Amino acid sequence: MADTESSPTPESFLKRSPLYRALRSRGARFMETEGGAVADSFGNGDESENLAVREMAICDLSPLPRHGFKGKGALEWLRKQGVAIGNEDNRAYTQPGGSLVARLAPTEALILGNLSSENALSAQLEGDWSIDTAPDCYAVPRNSANFWFLITGLHAPNMFAKLCGIDLRLHKFPVNAIAQTSVARSVAIIIRADLGAVPAFHLLGDSASALYMLDCLEDAMGEFGGKPVGISAVRRAMKS
Amino acid sequence: MVGPNRLPSLPDDWLDRECIIPFSFEGKGYQGFAGDTIASALAANGVWVLSRSFKYHRPRGVLTMAGEDTNALVQLDGEPNVPADRRLIEPGLRIQGQNCIGSLKRDWASLLGYFGRFLPPGFYYKAFFKPRGAFAFWEPIIRRMAGLGQIDLHAPHDYHDKAYGFSDVAVVGGGPAGMAAALEAAKAGAEVILIEDGRQLGGSLNFGRYGTDRAAAVNLRHELVATVEASPNITVFTDAVCQALFADNWLPVIQGNRLHKIRTTSVIIATGALEQHIIFRNNDLPGIMMGSAAQRLIHLYGVRPGKRAVIATTNSSGYGVCLDLIENGVEVVAIIDLRDDPPDCPLSSTARAKNIRVISGHTIVEAKARMGNRHVSSIAIARGQGPHQETDPVQRLDCDLVCMCGGYVPAAGLLRHAGADIAYDEETAAFVVTPLIDPIHAAGAVNGVSGLEALTADGRHAGWQAARDGGFEVDARPARPTTDPAGTRPVLLPVTPHPKGKDFVDYDEDLQACDIVNTVADGYTNVELLKRYSTVGMGPSQGRHSALPTVRLAAGALGCSLDDIGLTTARPPVGPITFAQLAGRQFEPVRRTAMHHRHLEKGATMMLAGPWLRPAFYGPEADKETCIREETIAVRNNVGIIDVSTLGGLEVRGSDAAEFMNRIYTFSYTKQLDGRGRYVLMTDETGAIVDDGIAARFHERHFYVTATTGAVDAVYRNMLWHNAQWQLDVDITNVTAAYCGINIAGPNARAVLSPLCEDVDLSVEAFPYMAATEGMVAGIPARILRVGFVGELGYELHAPANCGEALWDALLEAGRDHDIRPFGVEAQRVLRLEKGHIIIGQDTDGLTHPFEAGMGWAIGKKKKDFLGKRAIEIRKKRGTTRQLVGFTLTDGKELPPAEGHIVVRGPDIVGHVTSAASSHTLGKVVGLAYVAPDQQEPGTRLTIKAEGGRIIDAEVVALPFYDPENKRQEL
Repeated sequence: MADTESSPTPESFLKRSPLYRALRSRGARFMETEGGAVADSFGNGDESENLAVREMAICDLSPLPRHGFKGKGALEWLRKQGVAIGNEDNRAYTQPGGSLVARLAPTEALILGNLSSENALSAQLEGDWSIDTAPDCYAVPRNSANFWFLITGLHAPNMFAKLCGIDLRLHKFPVNAIAQTSVARSVAIIIRADLGAVPAFHLLGDSASALYMLDCLEDAMGEFGGKPVGISAVRRAMKS
Repeated sequence: MVGPNRLPSLPDDWLDRECIIPFSFEGKGYQGFAGDTIASALAANGVWVLSRSFKYHRPRGVLTMAGEDTNALVQLDGEPNVPADRRLIEPGLRIQGQNCIGSLKRDWASLLGYFGRFLPPGFYYKAFFKPRGAFAFWEPIIRRMAGLGQIDLHAPHDYHDKAYGFSDVAVVGGGPAGMAAALEAAKAGAEVILIEDGRQLGGSLNFGRYGTDRAAAVNLRHELVATVEASPNITVFTDAVCQALFADNWLPVIQGNRLHKIRTTSVIIATGALEQHIIFRNNDLPGIMMGSAAQRLIHLYGVRPGKRAVIATTNSSGYGVCLDLIENGVEVVAIIDLRDDPPDCPLSSTARAKNIRVISGHTIVEAKARMGNRHVSSIAIARGQGPHQETDPVQRLDCDLVCMCGGYVPAAGLLRHAGADIAYDEETAAFVVTPLIDPIHAAGAVNGVSGLEALTADGRHAGWQAARDGGFEVDARPARPTTDPAGTRPVLLPVTPHPKGKDFVDYDEDLQACDIVNTVADGYTNVELLKRYSTVGMGPSQGRHSALPTVRLAAGALGCSLDDIGLTTARPPVGPITFAQLAGRQFEPVRRTAMHHRHLEKGATMMLAGPWLRPAFYGPEADKETCIREETIAVRNNVGIIDVSTLGGLEVRGSDAAEFMNRIYTFSYTKQLDGRGRYVLMTDETGAIVDDGIAARFHERHFYVTATTGAVDAVYRNMLWHNAQWQLDVDITNVTAAYCGINIAGPNARAVLSPLCEDVDLSVEAFPYMAATEGMVAGIPARILRVGFVGELGYELHAPANCGEALWDALLEAGRDHDIRPFGVEAQRVLRLEKGHIIIGQDTDGLTHPFEAGMGWAIGKKKKDFLGKRAIEIRKKRGTTRQLVGFTLTDGKELPPAEGHIVVRGPDIVGHVTSAASSHTLGKVVGLAYVAPDQQEPGTRLTIKAEGGRIIDAEVVALPFYDPENKRQEL
């Protein structure tokens, strides 16, 4: 389905998801966000997408901001910026503004922007960091290095089992757990961050492999009736 | 009724008699019920011959009804070797017999049976090789005569995939012991996966007879299955075959088209036992089957296995088979109990009470068949177990069914994968699987246990152990079974070859008892050699039935015990497995640059570069040469643009960044100024070249380093490894995917790019050759490097990948008035060759060191150390054995040589061509080649030997071929 007149085209922005064509071919309608266009919905009606989010769905969040910092002084610098990071590796920490900070190592963190509003923390960190002002802390260009998908629904662990060797069953992989692993033979980060009662997993990987990964995920989801959804359905699930 | 042998409906059979399914076998139509296997449906229709044997092409029929033998393998459209006793019939299914020349009914190759004495084991090692060249004549004949089904090379692809599975306890085998084990483990709170290779849980409870009344087994099955199904923490896989037990409890389980890769904390193997056949002449005739096969036909498929039966048994199970047969309308002529004095047991007492004739202390000597060996018609029995002679007095019994109950061998393949072994305990006349190491446990018949109570008790005990291993809180240890019901133990009796043979030990390979004895006589006394020489156990059934009689025959021939002979190594997989199941869904990551779709829109022919897709040239394959030529002309004379996003990108940051660069690369970087780029060359510890690129210094503590497309991951790993050794204050990040790369090159490059640069002065004074800076290009933050890989004025732009498409669009739009043209990898290769720039991996190999590649200029001679320095110095001191040089062809009309063509001098090969192309710019063929050191001087004549022995005359010329004064790249 083509974009409607009120729907911005991804090509009208400098920043573009590597998947915008694939999503458009699946009927995506886009909305502007953070200097890019994110798939808002797929024109099948809210209920259909709400159901998909609960059962098995994929949402491309690649146009949303995410940042990485690494180095032996990275966590200390982030804490000085007001970021709340605990002491446990491979665990995500939700920030007061809704952003998620994933502690990947004692020397590395990944910041995922809030899904439902403007991302003040991301903008602040991006603006504050420089190699001169952040000793032993180095920015990692996650925005462009990684695709960012949200995989949702009750069937998500079973779907992942076809692609990934980590036990992601809900009672084994708790909320805020992180797996730095391989998905469909491609390096990936998986973070569990449920949408209320709906199981959800952030999946970040090599941006150059985004189309390949979408193909693998859709193939694996087929057994469970999974399909792509827009960010609006995700936001509705967060509120419910 | 569908078929004359169909029995009335049984309450627990596996058929849906409301659904009739038509199919064909050997071109003739039949009907079966939904739930029928191919073999059961054919048996119901009175068709007992399913295939022909491997060597003698003898008719073969139902043997196990469990998918454990070769006899039941049939051919489907596009699929060979389908076990007819497991595969269900489907509407319209077309089935053919296998291994026949002619038809299944009349196979002229069966005449080979008359020449069996000339075809002993290993005959093919001794024949067919003389006179010289004879094998070429025999090979196609042998290939046609032997083998199993036919592969359809045009069969459509089918979807197969894999899935990981996890559990605290995995139980392999869904019989009474397996179900009891699963329930016990689940009771303690463990998550259990219960893996059953049959269609339903129950194992032997589905067809076996554990008491005088089958109701005991039926009721226990109902009770256990209901409890398993009500247990939320037990996941049941049916029709699932666990193919192996690998280290760390890794279980590959095939279920349909999926391979489950299961990881579990504890494993319980409850795979039961395999009923064994009895060795006598013609023991392979259709109508001769395992006793359990007859029971399966009756109870699972409602098929009467014959009308007049003889049962040959070594234990009480034969009496159970007898009761099943007579209760379902089969006349039992006699039970031949091979034991001299069989003990009484409830089953034998019940059979005797029904006036069944029991002949003890006898064995079957021979079976006879109707015309063409198509079905058993009678047997001859003789007293005693010793060697039989043709003159021995025999009794003849007419029958059309012979049930063999030769005892059981533990189905211990999985346990043996885990290091266990099977030993025969003479004292208890039982097989013992030992040793088992926690957390792997055995339960049930595989553990040498029999009898319903004993099986479930053993299962509960194993389940308790597994739960305990998994750290679950368990109740008191359940009691283990101590004794088995009388008469259930298998008794080993001598195996004696029949003087006329055809007493098959191994049905797969048509191996007779004398074949094993003769193999031993040939000197192959080690069981592994015996197996390989005779091929016993090497067929599809993998020795399930042949291993035990082989060991017994060998032990008899050598006068030693069974343990002295031992068993051959058990290796995965346990059962047949297809390549498709092993392959699963293919996961081959493909990387696309941000501009990928723009290339496609422009008509590019794409090529793989490692995992990346890159434009080779813009245009169709048919216009390849024209496209490449025009693209090179555009760069040389005007301006071109190429997507170089696949170049590796590495951030080296920290206070020791310059020191790190100095150590890891050959050049010197401590004095490199901010805002400048410098060539990098990496060698390994042996001094061999491994990569090159450009290092741009953007800060005292920050280098941005490019690496080649194919080597960046290795370079990154190399850097991390050495950084860990050196403990420098450096952070290294691989940012390859984060940045797109675009090279704009040609005399008009500056004119196109300058208007897009808001804050960077690109004038030659402000931004000279090898300058580097960060700035905004078309509103996009970019790193700008002035480089000259193609030998023209050029700029490499590295920008966030998510802005790559917009940047590409902006450059093409800005260059529209200059007729800017995208160029691909092929044109780039020609351009760089004209400039004499090498490509690592193409113009170098795993041994090339810098001096022989003419890269001595890239060595920092004043540096104290760098990776590979000492090795390079040693190799330089020893002198080079080859030298990379530029060459042109002396005959302007000669076609260029290809990469790999050899450089010869007289009879010697002195080098090879690494790159060659026809240069439109230079009007001649140019190339790079390794030559002998004394051939490196310009003007030296070379001889290149090309395809088909074509000789090409060439001449060494100085590099670069194009613009030797480097004026164009410094415009």
